[in-house]
Amino acid sequence: MQGYIYPNEYELQWSLLIVLYPYLTGLVAGAFILASLERVFNVKEVQPTYRLALLTALAFLIVAPLPLQAHLGHPERSYQIFLTPNTKSAMAMFGFVYAWYLMVVLLLEIWLDYRKDMVQWAQASTGWRRWLYYGLTLGATDLSPRALRFDESAGRWITIIGIPSAFLLHGYVGFIFGSVKANPWWSSVLMPVVFLFSAIVSGIALVLVLYMLTTMFRWQKIDMPCLDKLAQFLFYALVVDASLESLDFIHRLYEAEESIEILGQLVENRLFISLIVLQVLIGTLIPLIALGTTSPALRKGGMFRTPPDLRQLIYLTSAVFVQIGIFSIRWNVVIGGQLFSKSLRGLTVYKVELLGIEGLGMTIALLVLPFAILWAIAKILPPWPESEAVRPAAPQTA
Amino acid sequence: MRSLPQQVPRLAIVFGVALGGLFVARGLLIPDTFGDRGHYRAAAVDSIAAQPVKFAGRAECAVCHDDVLKPHGAGNHRGVTCEVCHGPAQAHVLAPLEVKPSVVRKRELCTACHAFDPSRPLGFPQIDPVAHNPRAPCIGCHRPHTPEPPTPPEACSACHGHFARQKAVSPHAALTCETCHQAPPQHRTNPRAALPGKPESRTFCGQCHGTPETGVPQVEMESHGQPNLCWQCHYPHYPEIR
Repeated sequence: MQGYIYPNEYELQWSLLIVLYPYLTGLVAGAFILASLERVFNVKEVQPTYRLALLTALAFLIVAPLPLQAHLGHPERSYQIFLTPNTKSAMAMFGFVYAWYLMVVLLLEIWLDYRKDMVQWAQASTGWRRWLYYGLTLGATDLSPRALRFDESAGRWITIIGIPSAFLLHGYVGFIFGSVKANPWWSSVLMPVVFLFSAIVSGIALVLVLYMLTTMFRWQKIDMPCLDKLAQFLFYALVVDASLESLDFIHRLYEAEESIEILGQLVENRLFISLIVLQVLIGTLIPLIALGTTSPALRKGGMFRTPPDLRQLIYLTSAVFVQIGIFSIRWNVVIGGQLFSKSLRGLTVYKVELLGIEGLGMTIALLVLPFAILWAIAKILPPWPESEAVRPAAPQTA
Repeated sequence: MRSLPQQVPRLAIVFGVALGGLFVARGLLIPDTFGDRGHYRAAAVDSIAAQPVKFAGRAECAVCHDDVLKPHGAGNHRGVTCEVCHGPAQAHVLAPLEVKPSVVRKRELCTACHAFDPSRPLGFPQIDPVAHNPRAPCIGCHRPHTPEPPTPPEACSACHGHFARQKAVSPHAALTCETCHQAPPQHRTNPRAALPGKPESRTFCGQCHGTPETGVPQVEMESHGQPNLCWQCHYPHYPEIR
């Protein structure tokens, strides 16, 4: 503790789990936006990651509310926000934003995209797997050209609705912080937009890492045009994200409100490692330089010609660095906003507890859980391009 | 008319069941009186009111224990009512001989307020329970009904170390506490009964900050920040102007 703080500010109310929550929802929104590149914007190169991106979004969306449940306690009461909605509270409306995104966007799009495969897998399987796939089709086994055309066009429309919904999901999280007008570190109209673009960055980077690792562990060859395109979009998203972050920063400096001095101390003392080193240097500048020079973002074939193996390593490292940077952004927003006193005269400290319901152990468990869920979903609904080849030759009409 | 694709009725059933389930759950789970008076179950007020009374209140204690309550009412613990330490006493009021309230000897009750915690108000008596006479019951040295420090502190920093440490690294380091605060002698033994003073006029700070010969940062005392007192905007223990 340093300087003067009010008695109720000594202990932070929003802990590491609240850092995790926007991080996870950001990955959901970002992965979905990446999937929409192929579906709506017709970027054919990233097609191998389309289904992986959708399943990643689903796996992380399932886990996204768990940090809030663990933080608030009494998860058995959480259904009440659906029964007696408080329309005046942005936080209380989260359940509906979440339900809309899960039910109307993500599950529907995955179902429409996989329906044809599920019907064929049901026909090709025996035992419980046959019943599982049949159940997942909801009995809609029609594979006529008309039915498949409906799947395609409905899926496309849902993706179009899904893009603003993904913006809503993560913009909403930024909105919650940005609307806390008593906190000068949070209160910014740019906050939802900054959250959104950092979400896109983190989602693309996550799918890039997952695509590389899953392809390598399946002993398949990595599709370099796809990887180059992912790196290219990651670079573009990173440029926009860094520009928005810089705009927010410069605006604060130029505006120089009465809080600027304590915010300066906050950045110099408490957030130096997490903001200057992890967020700006490791999470932004190094990936920007690495991707800008090696990916085809600025020049076809890259500014420096690099062999594919080296480029893969650079992309993987950059994407991991980006994840570290985005997690640091969430840390800097959530924890940083509580480290200075509203008297603007002092700073407190935050020590992460190791065990316990809000501790480091729980955070790591909730970070690992989406990968376990993704693994399980991928067992049932393989997102790999070659799994589509294991089909009966001719489409059948039920 | 062309029939709908097979997927549409199947999805409609799923969404219909989900939405129908929500409405059925609302009908079954929302209590009848929810929303009558606000965003809560109105009947909760009646069910809380119907709970048995456990606390008697200070006035009931005073009926028999006035000899304790009179000095207690004048001491530093006057805001801490009897049942905070002795527990709910309604049963004792109804049957004074059969039910006796507890006498507190555990340190944990006192340290709930007096263990060091930087978030407590500055100057509030605080100890480190590990280092401060470990395991000895607090009431062995302190009188809980009329508490006073056993040894009056000699320097202001004994209780106000937080201010003292800040001031020591500020441009006001050379000023003593008494330059700005006049503390009556009894403040050392009964701090809250005799509070120290604060500068009450702008001319006080103007002795230095409105006098160019002193060589410290100057302001135009007539116009700057009127009509506020200086310390209402500037923090004198760690002034921001260097």
